[in-house]
Amino acid sequence: MQETALIVSYIVIAYMLFSSLSYLGLFALAFRKVKRETKLDKRESTEDFLRNQSTYPVSILVPAYNEEVGVVSTVRSLLALEYPEKEIIVIDDGSKDDTSLRMIEEFKMTKIPFAVRMHIETAEIESIYQSSIFPYIRLIKKANGGKADALNAGINLSSFPYFCAIDGDSILENDGLLKTMKPIIESDGQIIVTGGSVRIANGSTISRSKVEVIGLPRSPVVLMQIVEYFRAFLIGRLALSHLNILLIVSGAFGVFNKERVIQAGGYNKNTVGEDMELVVRLHRLLREEKSKQRIEYIPDPVCWTEAPDSLGVLKSQRIRWQRGLFETLWTHRKLMLNPKYGSIGLFSMPYFLFVELLGAVFEFIGYFIIFGGFFFSLVDPQVAGVMFLVTVFYGSLISALAVLLEELTLHKYPNVSHLVKLYFWALTEAFWYRPLMVLWRVQGIFAAFRKKAHWGDMKRKGIST
Amino acid sequence: MNLFFFWMLSLSLFIGQLVLLGILAWRKQRTNRKESSVDRQYDDLIDAFSSYMIDQDDGRFLQQLDASPNKQTVLERLLNHYVAVTKTGPTSDEITALAEQYLAHRYAKLLKQRNWAMRMNTLYFIEDFRMASLIPQLKEKLHKHSKLDQETQQLIRTLASLNEPVAIAALAEFPEAPARLYIDVFKRLDELTKLDELDAALDANASPALKHAAISYIGMAGIMLFLPRIEQELENEDPEMRIQALKALLHLQYMNDPGSLTPFFSSDSWQERMFASQIAGALQLSRYKERLSELLGDSVWWVRYSAAEALTQFSDGDILLSHLSTNHPDRYARDMANQWKTSLSGSEQ
Repeated sequence: MQETALIVSYIVIAYMLFSSLSYLGLFALAFRKVKRETKLDKRESTEDFLRNQSTYPVSILVPAYNEEVGVVSTVRSLLALEYPEKEIIVIDDGSKDDTSLRMIEEFKMTKIPFAVRMHIETAEIESIYQSSIFPYIRLIKKANGGKADALNAGINLSSFPYFCAIDGDSILENDGLLKTMKPIIESDGQIIVTGGSVRIANGSTISRSKVEVIGLPRSPVVLMQIVEYFRAFLIGRLALSHLNILLIVSGAFGVFNKERVIQAGGYNKNTVGEDMELVVRLHRLLREEKSKQRIEYIPDPVCWTEAPDSLGVLKSQRIRWQRGLFETLWTHRKLMLNPKYGSIGLFSMPYFLFVELLGAVFEFIGYFIIFGGFFFSLVDPQVAGVMFLVTVFYGSLISALAVLLEELTLHKYPNVSHLVKLYFWALTEAFWYRPLMVLWRVQGIFAAFRKKAHWGDMKRKGIST
Repeated sequence: MNLFFFWMLSLSLFIGQLVLLGILAWRKQRTNRKESSVDRQYDDLIDAFSSYMIDQDDGRFLQQLDASPNKQTVLERLLNHYVAVTKTGPTSDEITALAEQYLAHRYAKLLKQRNWAMRMNTLYFIEDFRMASLIPQLKEKLHKHSKLDQETQQLIRTLASLNEPVAIAALAEFPEAPARLYIDVFKRLDELTKLDELDAALDANASPALKHAAISYIGMAGIMLFLPRIEQELENEDPEMRIQALKALLHLQYMNDPGSLTPFFSSDSWQERMFASQIAGALQLSRYKERLSELLGDSVWWVRYSAAEALTQFSDGDILLSHLSTNHPDRYARDMANQWKTSLSGSEQ
């Protein structure tokens, strides 16, 4: 028994060291790219597009389910977006609350007949409304079909060649869309998807749908999510995007080439990870066509979103995410280690399987061995000690590094106290937050076998005052 | 398994991070302090600057500026904000004069900086402040660039903003240069140079990207002088060029010979049918009402959409659409007519 435990310990330690090194490798790749652009005057580099008729028009899709608290402020923030030509389409996916009513009242909307092109099959469209104040705001009221179905309905109604998918509870910075479209315009359409950074709005002051003062929340659970987002967005996504093997563009904010998405079949209704699944399918399409088009992540354009501050909601969110990851990897298992799909098949898919999905299983075993080693002589305490140190390194030190990377590059949080607070909270990660995440992520893998797609059930408080 | 080794490794990484944290915290504090000092100086100078821009005899601004410890940064910010507010108009000579006096030397140095972002910012500012004294440095720099990367593209835009026709020739060196960049150059050249360059670009021997850009730009800028040349392009054998010409005519909102539009209503290309419909609507060409009614039942959604939108432009458009929404033989045409008889036009521009 002890011998088996020892072998397992060695495997887990080797795994964690390998994963940590892969993170550091990704960190090194990300660093060069972000650092290069740190001092660039972002305003100067995008202002030309504001008056440029070559800037592609964009349809902004806001899928909403029971978003009566946040939907109006989200749409108001979208109205304030600096962009030459846009339309805003809110899709009420059979909400049980007053999401539609809020929209109809606030924007003086009236029912219109609309000849919708059915590129993608969706649940029944009940009615379409148009604002009489801002005719470019429309609302689709439809039967419940899930977020993917709502987005597909939005794609069907949209008029423009690019669409931006944004969550109903998120606020996009004024120049966020322009900055996200910049690489698409400059590449003359060679970039087909861009994803931007998502930040947590809890703790910041948002008024009139604009982030006025950036601050930190009091709740440790939310603070840790901020650190986690740094780790995911600044270390992982940027480096993977650099290698054109990024498999995730956040569902909270991304811009897509509509024709390509329709060609790929739209969002998949049978998974809870529809954002990742679509991106993998697009990569697959590009590789099969031997196309040189790319999917890119931009660290700067920031979309602010409300993070769950209760452990119960966080738990269900993480289970859903992990389940989505599992479902996507399973659906596209044909790509795994398949040289036909180049670096996506040979590097990205195995990376997401072993680091992002199975990482939770390895870490779970690691915590079990530490506990068993120190209290029940399951393994030599020396081995348990090494395991403990490696776990702290993997869990805390890398997250703390992500905080430092953020400060080194984007430095969005204005005060020194923010930096110090985030850093020291990051150091605590391995001792309480990470074990919880590991447990829920393992639960998420099991949840993948009990299929039933549904929207997240977070009770919104609203992020705008 | 050496516990000591892992202890030392973790500890040294932790200490390394603490040192980095200390440096970053110190840097942040210093940057914040400098930033608030610059903000204060900016606020102190803004009134004097506004007066100076109205009356250059008011010497207060220059005195205060010379006394400012961060005069270049503050001046750069003042000029930049002024230019941002007055962006659509011509850059004032005073802005250029101030920039030349206080910033030219600094920018000449910055153009040679190793930091890419700083070089890019400098190019943006030279363009915004129209600093012609730096043309030789810019040309020299352009000469050294062999790739059409972001910096080369901005270098070409900056030279164009200083009315240097060399910008077009420089772009021509890169066969992969997209029409979008040529348009950026046309936009920046002054009126006379622009007309000469557009004239040359419409020449049969010009590269397709250049010609495509010239046609697009003429449409966007509404330069009626070239209307006959654009109409000629409707007979071009290259379908892309014909589409660009139709698009330009739509922007120009005029045709010497509307009859030349007729073949496009039955073109094999849906884009040509779509633009022909849009032009017929925009120019209210009553003779094409019947063709538009037919195109309402086109197989392509965009053509149906444009035909219906075009019909709304006529004085009796709502009656026509009402009639078609019940009597058109095609179901999709009836849907489209139904949508347009009540709908408001749909995008923000």
